[in-house]
Amino acid sequence: MRFTISREKLQEGLAAVTASIPAKTTLPVLANILVEATEKGIRLSGTDLDIAVTTEVAADVETTGAITIPAKKLSEIARELPPAPVRIAAVGEQRITLDCGRSHFKILGLPRDEFPAFPNVKFNESWRIRSGDLIKLISHTSFAVSTEESRPILNGVLWELRPEMMRMVATNGHRLAKMEMPIKSTGAPASDMIVPPKALEQIRRLFPEDEELEIAKGENHLGFRSPFTAVFTRLIEGPYPPYEQVIPKDNNRVAIADRTALTSALRRMTIIASDQTHRIRMSFNAGMLKFSVQTPDLGEANDELAVRYTGDPLDIGFNANYLLEVLRYIPTDEVRLTFKAPERAATLEPEGWADPASYLCLVMPLRLLD
Amino acid sequence: MSVASPPRIAVLPSAVADQIAAGEVVERPSSVVKELIENALDAGASSVDVAIEDGGRQTIRVSDDGCGMSPDDAVLALERHATSKIRSAADLVGVRSFGFRGEALAAMCSVSHLELETAPDDGAGTLVRAAGGAILDVSPIARRRGTTVRISRLFYNAPARLKFLRGSRSEWRAIVEVIGSMALTRRDVRVSVTNDGKPMLSLPASATLRERLAAIYGGAFAGRLLDVDDVIGTTHVAGLVERPSDVGTATRRAFLSVNGRAVRDTGIVRAAEAAYRSTIPAGVRPTIFLDVTVAADAVDVNVHPAKAEVRFRDRWPLERAIENAVARALGTFDAGATLGRSHWTFVPPSPPPQALAPVDVEALHPDGPDLEGLFEISNNDTLEPPPSPAAPASAPPPAPTTDVPPLTQLHRTYMLFEHEQGVVLIDQHSAHERVLYERFMGTLERGEAPAQRLLFPMTLHLGPAESEAFERDRELFERLGFEIDGFGGHTLIVRAVPMPHPRFDPERCVRETLAALTGDRDAGVHARHERLAATVACKAAIKGGDLLSPGEMRALYIALRDTKLPAHDVHGRATIVQLTWDEIDRRFGRR
Ligand SMILES: Nc1ncnc2c1ncn2[C@@H]1O[C@H](COP(=O)(O)OP(=O)(O)OP(=O)(O)O)[C@@H](O)[C@H]1O
Ligand SMILES: [Mg+2]
Repeated sequence: MRFTISREKLQEGLAAVTASIPAKTTLPVLANILVEATEKGIRLSGTDLDIAVTTEVAADVETTGAITIPAKKLSEIARELPPAPVRIAAVGEQRITLDCGRSHFKILGLPRDEFPAFPNVKFNESWRIRSGDLIKLISHTSFAVSTEESRPILNGVLWELRPEMMRMVATNGHRLAKMEMPIKSTGAPASDMIVPPKALEQIRRLFPEDEELEIAKGENHLGFRSPFTAVFTRLIEGPYPPYEQVIPKDNNRVAIADRTALTSALRRMTIIASDQTHRIRMSFNAGMLKFSVQTPDLGEANDELAVRYTGDPLDIGFNANYLLEVLRYIPTDEVRLTFKAPERAATLEPEGWADPASYLCLVMPLRLLD
Repeated sequence: MSVASPPRIAVLPSAVADQIAAGEVVERPSSVVKELIENALDAGASSVDVAIEDGGRQTIRVSDDGCGMSPDDAVLALERHATSKIRSAADLVGVRSFGFRGEALAAMCSVSHLELETAPDDGAGTLVRAAGGAILDVSPIARRRGTTVRISRLFYNAPARLKFLRGSRSEWRAIVEVIGSMALTRRDVRVSVTNDGKPMLSLPASATLRERLAAIYGGAFAGRLLDVDDVIGTTHVAGLVERPSDVGTATRRAFLSVNGRAVRDTGIVRAAEAAYRSTIPAGVRPTIFLDVTVAADAVDVNVHPAKAEVRFRDRWPLERAIENAVARALGTFDAGATLGRSHWTFVPPSPPPQALAPVDVEALHPDGPDLEGLFEISNNDTLEPPPSPAAPASAPPPAPTTDVPPLTQLHRTYMLFEHEQGVVLIDQHSAHERVLYERFMGTLERGEAPAQRLLFPMTLHLGPAESEAFERDRELFERLGFEIDGFGGHTLIVRAVPMPHPRFDPERCVRETLAALTGDRDAGVHARHERLAATVACKAAIKGGDLLSPGEMRALYIALRDTKLPAHDVHGRATIVQLTWDEIDRRFGRR
């Protein structure tokens, strides 16, 4: 294997792939990047066995072949190289030479056979989705996944694909985020997939918004592909908990509040809220929302905010952080909150959102003590 | 039956009566030593020399540099009920001197050969010689200011008592006990002791209890003890107590003084020991040295012939005060185990007073805005934060970190930080367990914890023993923040859970806690609370092997620092181990 590549192309390719290289691994080859030289150019790939990223960059290939190179060292070298073409060659199965201007490196790699094979995902049965749509769903929902290991299903984002629409849902069992949007019929099979957020983050990072992504499903893997870059991910095995059942349909108390003002008031309250529970009390009354918080050994705080409220007065407790977090993602200036009772789920939605997508967040209350 | 039988009851000759009375005061050589030293101290001595021969069976001599006596007083002193220390019964209340009965010298004199040399000033003095309670002669002598009393041939005229004396070694040991306790009571007095002419102990006057203990038992022993010093109401409790991690590793010693008087009092000792509960294994007892000062009229010292016991007017608050004072001493980071020999005091800096705003402990919060690990991908340096389409408000300002040292996790099990005098290791599981235990105890004793309602209620299927355990403690689980419905049979539906920290796994916690509590006997309310809090804390705490982020370590450090007993977990293991520079330097051969 021997090829010449511009310093910039090399850096670009490495930047795409190195994020998929695990920081620590017991399998040494996973710390390496697979470099394959073909007639078309070179392909760089990395994986942590859950997720794999591969990208093609243009290069002048003299002889084809493949080898794996320590990812961290190669990236560091590429970063420091002088602006000149880079010549990379494999010497036998495990050695690489790299020349650039007057710089010369010899690096030890590992044979390509040791690199794990990519998941078997066939793109001949693929469907297409605009990357920007996918990214929009990802960035409004994946924050809500659970980071606990106890319920692996909740560690993933549920992606529901239907002929006319798609939806993503994420929850940690205390609060939930759901966004859906209509799509042109893609011919995709209706399917429910639970995707690790790490993979979705790669999608968000690697694909420009206006790119058409080709997506295909294997046995328990999913592949995303643009002309030059592909991401493969393991899917989490379901079933996902029946989230539709817990989304309240009969919340009859409704408040509409200014998102920024509500956020500020909540942030003031969290200063005095308990470090463990962040518990605050919200009292809704016609036209007015009152906040209060009491924390033993610390103190208490009160605040008020004018809101448009319809329904009987309501006292309800929340982990203020859950509300604050959800408010960060509400895309409108005003937010619509609905309630049923102090022990029932509350919802938050954008108010007056002129967008084909619809967005709903749900937060479970905290018990209030009297 | 007109023949009168001889009367069976007769008044004893006074010498015999005195001998019997003497038995109460003078039991064995060590009681002689005790009475003589007390007299010396009452005389204002700043230096006391004790010379013993044959375990006190031959001779006991105690010399002091106190106020001495005039020739008349020297003779009077040997009379029964002759005392200079009180004049009326009313003076007994709050009496400060060791002596007040006027018994001791008379009692000793009646069962031994006694020589009393005394002078109120350097120069002209008096020598009184007596035996079996009778004065043999009184003569003028020249000597330094002070008094020397020499008791020889103790019990020479009381064969029954003589028979009960033990061997000289055993009597010597009893004497050493007495001298030790006097030396601890009055640290300001220089003490020297010889046995059969050999110097055995020489204690310079000391400023502190620790200094005196160092002189008696060695600096290493004294250095490892923790300071107690607390005023609660009118009670002042001061002294030194053993680190929980050291308990059981050496001879246990207990010393207690009340208003400057060494006494035995099991109630107080038990109260002090109660403060160790949950920090040491059951059955081992800590070493304690405590000086208790109470209002003079709160204690009666005249209840025991050898004044070894006292009676308190109101015992309960006193014992609480003692338990609290000791608990507070154990409740500092300083109480952590020390590796190595030197002792140093680590007082974690308390948060600055203006820091009323909560320190940012995002790590132990239910998923704070700073979602650790959500988009954590393999190569962290290339990771930029997820974008927020709605231009979210900026994250809260970083917390003040000045009061938390940089922490490093070792072996996924310990947190390490550097301190002026060494490095400190904290066991993450033990530490977290301690934090949670105290929090849960607070919740159980004082009300309810917040309950986070669940979107998807959990269903638990239990065995019969677990169901029974649940039924017994159901109400306590609810107070801890669980909302659980029985569903008939052995099925539970958990609708709400407490969130003690973001890694909390409520399902596993409930299961394991119930499994651990099966077959528990019915206990008192407090004991049940302790048991449940300890079990839940153990099950809920992060484990060894869990990788902690810097934020989590900082939060744990702060939470631990704010506990009452940070240095020990609920099983009595150390949570904190200190490795001093001294020890490290020594191991590297730098000193
Ligand atoms: N070392 C001494 N120096 C000066 N005076 C002494 C000394 N020893 C005894 N005395 C005097 O002799 C008196 C009698 O002593 P003794 O020990 O018999 O009685 P006490 O100390 O008054 O009471 P107790 O019987 O409770 O000890 C004391 O009150 C004190 O005045
Ligand atoms: Mg006396």
